[in-house]
Amino acid sequence: MSYALAVGETRGGVLQERSLDPVYFSDKIGLPSYLLLPQGEYDPLKGLCDKVLVSSLEEGDFLSPLNLVRTVEGVIGAFGAPSLILFPHSSFGMDAAPFLAGRLSWPLITDIAGFYRDEEGMVFIKPLYSEKVHAHFRLREARGVVGTVRAGAFEGEGEGKETVFERLEAIEKDPRREFLDYLEEEVGDVDITRAELLVSVGRGVKEKENIPTFEELASLLGGTLSCSRPVADRGWLPKSRQVGTSGKTVKPKVYLAMGISGAFQHIAGMKNSEVIIAVNRDPSAPIFQYAHYGVIEDMHKVAQKMIERLKGQG
Amino acid sequence: MDVVVLAKWVPVTQEEELKLIRGEKAVDLEEIPFRLNEWDTYAIEEASRILEAHGGTGWVVSLGTEEADTALRRGLAMGLGKGALIETEEELVDPFERAQIFKNFLEKKGIKFDLLLSGVQAEDDQFAATGGILAGLLDLPYATMVMGIEEISEGEVTVLRELEGGLMERVRVSLPAVLSVQTGINEPRYVSVTGVLAAAKKEREFLPVDEFSEGREGRIEILKLEFPPPREGAEIIKGDLDEVVESIFEILKEKGVR
Repeated sequence: MSYALAVGETRGGVLQERSLDPVYFSDKIGLPSYLLLPQGEYDPLKGLCDKVLVSSLEEGDFLSPLNLVRTVEGVIGAFGAPSLILFPHSSFGMDAAPFLAGRLSWPLITDIAGFYRDEEGMVFIKPLYSEKVHAHFRLREARGVVGTVRAGAFEGEGEGKETVFERLEAIEKDPRREFLDYLEEEVGDVDITRAELLVSVGRGVKEKENIPTFEELASLLGGTLSCSRPVADRGWLPKSRQVGTSGKTVKPKVYLAMGISGAFQHIAGMKNSEVIIAVNRDPSAPIFQYAHYGVIEDMHKVAQKMIERLKGQG
Repeated sequence: MDVVVLAKWVPVTQEEELKLIRGEKAVDLEEIPFRLNEWDTYAIEEASRILEAHGGTGWVVSLGTEEADTALRRGLAMGLGKGALIETEEELVDPFERAQIFKNFLEKKGIKFDLLLSGVQAEDDQFAATGGILAGLLDLPYATMVMGIEEISEGEVTVLRELEGGLMERVRVSLPAVLSVQTGINEPRYVSVTGVLAAAKKEREFLPVDEFSEGREGRIEILKLEFPPPREGAEIIKGDLDEVVESIFEILKEKGVR
């Protein structure tokens, strides 16, 4: 019986919820799912997948792409080759999946956001061009495939499976990459996760010199200034102000996104805001798909006018 | 310390309305501006800093049309010493194919390196895969989402990897290795247009892709492209600037944040 091998992750010993994205995707495909995890106890997974395969390696070693290849070879030796090897599309998945595909010489599709079958087989949907286009990929020949699965792209069938827990045989570690330690982010000047109103600026802010205008706007509104990745990358605002997967997850009452195009990693960090207002001059910006209100206008003009009005009233 | 950087010349589509062509199998890029992939700019900067600190040869290698020569010239203007463009008019949609071509290139040209750097992903296909597949094919240690190269010593390098929610991990990787660099790792130096033009005098090789095509067959193919099915989407606030701003204030008031 064919199966899908889902590779999950823990961080600091805590099972990460995104480990279930590949399991849910296996449900969608209709294959039994074997979830591979580092050493640990995983009772809460009972019912969610068909097997939990527990490695002999601890988290730091398990998550190294080099060791993972050996672990997967062990799984293949014990259970036969899976039809798919699936990872969450996370820092870990992006690390391990391409390397594994290269080692096994298997095809790879990353950031899988949709799936269906046509008469010729499996079709994988993956966003391209800053989310503006969806590509439908298929394999040139029927064979095993490695993939990473977008967070929340698939819903699971829920509990009810007879989960079997199995411990894998010990493998020898590949010494060429070694986990040393974790580093927590430095505490920032403000905690954007506590703000009720976030004025958030993106690439459209254009230059560092424009930041004070938006700082002023946020402060006149009694809100807090946050940003998307490109602004923090350039050091125009501290990393602690960055909203998104690699930054903070926020849910303010109002999220005013200015000049943010809406990369998935950003959307994931703010989509649970009560009201999202997006200001962007590009009507095809993906953010308008997620916002409650949209303003197709230059963010600088909108900010100037808002400041003018706020000062006029004051 | 010899370093090779992979650099891609990519269309900048963030603010463009896209059109599908060739039976909805490709995007019409005719009118779209191109630039050096943003992630690769950081990789080139990181390579230049390593070379400044440790000495050695720096290569910038690109795979694409002759326009991608600008990517090489930018890399050379930023401090790398040698450029190579593997020329093809084809759009290579499978990162496996790209990785195989790069592997063939490195082996056939006999290019030795301590570090091979790429960007975490390319802006156009966002596959985030070429560096990792190449590392797998070469059986060299790999790390992506690299947000810091802390220490390079005899035979090994210590790097910081960006994880989720502000967390980082520190890993030690033995050399030679392949690393994929995340944006924000450094502040890429400014190079003027004249600097990029002047780099035309620097050493570059232009090589047809056919020389490096052994075993490159793509493993996946595009069945079709489509625009994402519209979600419910935003209610677009219409009107002149005053009206629009008034509406934003009303929403803020309604939510009790003003």
